Amino acid sequence: MMRAAVVGLVVGLAAMPFGFVSAQTYPSARPVPRTTDAPALRALAQRREIHERFTIGVDAEAHKRWSAAIPEFERIIALQPPEPLGSTARYDLAIAYANLHRYDQADAALRAALVLDPGFLAAMANLIAVDLQRGDLRGARGVADRFVQLAPDSARALYSRGLVALSSGDAVTARDDFGKLLHDDPSYAVAHYDLGLAEEKLANFDTAVSEFDAALRLAPSYARARLALGAVFLHQGKRVEARAAFAQVVANSNGDPSLRTLALALRDSIDAHR
Amino acid sequence: MSTRLLRRLLLGGLLFAAVISTRFAVAGAASLEAMIADGFTPSATPALLAPIGETGRTGWACAPERAAAASQARAAELPAANDTP
Repeated sequence: MMRAAVVGLVVGLAAMPFGFVSAQTYPSARPVPRTTDAPALRALAQRREIHERFTIGVDAEAHKRWSAAIPEFERIIALQPPEPLGSTARYDLAIAYANLHRYDQADAALRAALVLDPGFLAAMANLIAVDLQRGDLRGARGVADRFVQLAPDSARALYSRGLVALSSGDAVTARDDFGKLLHDDPSYAVAHYDLGLAEEKLANFDTAVSEFDAALRLAPSYARARLALGAVFLHQGKRVEARAAFAQVVANSNGDPSLRTLALALRDSIDAHR
Repeated sequence: MSTRLLRRLLLGGLLFAAVISTRFAVAGAASLEAMIADGFTPSATPALLAPIGETGRTGWACAPERAAAASQARAAELPAANDTP
């Protein structure tokens, strides 16, 4: 009897880990590659290296360790992985370069990514941002035209090309792009502001005023829109309205000292010419 | 001093003052125009879209690609009015 009880206890204890204690879980085992073929083993090792380097590189970028990310993606590129890995590695490499202000290298990496995958929209978006930082308006415009052609409803494509067009004096394209963007997203205050700038450049001052007003209705503390509104009033000879707008920016420049200084100078210049 | 010399000096002085004040007026107008132009600065360049992992572009779950194609400003990660004062 005693013996049977001891045996029962031992069996019960042995069964416990499976019945009551939650065991550590492991991912299901991947099939072990059964090959002794040297090229096949080499390909497997390379695939593994690409996987590891992507993990390390993306993690480094997530923690803003840009310099640490660069060699990981450079090595992946040197291994010439298939698509979409090749273009993705170049895209990630460009992010690291851009954050280190190495814009020329970022531009080259993104252009190489787009050679591998001409429909890579995120690469186009980042390339325009990089080219704007480099002051390469012509390069940015070429990519922006392609971006809008591939994704005509993309807010980023329209916004980016609108910005490039505004910066290079093409107010008509800027007006069209910001207008289209607002058609899909009329509550986007920044696009109203930029559309106002385009209308001002086209000497449509009343339309510019209504766009700046729209931006300010959506974002009442949008100091830059208020400053632009004041500047248009000044163009129209409405000095009282202009002064009021500049005074409002001086009172609330949204934490931008340069904007406050500019508003102050414009307000004072109106006072000096009274 | 003769009256003629005095007249010439007075005329020269007036001419000089006119030139100086015109210069100041032109410079003032130019600086005002420059200040107004500064008031028409385009909004901020959008921030870079995020890095993409090894399997990021497999299927439809790639966040940067979706942001690049989105038709709404927020989904596209475009700058907000508060980002550009």
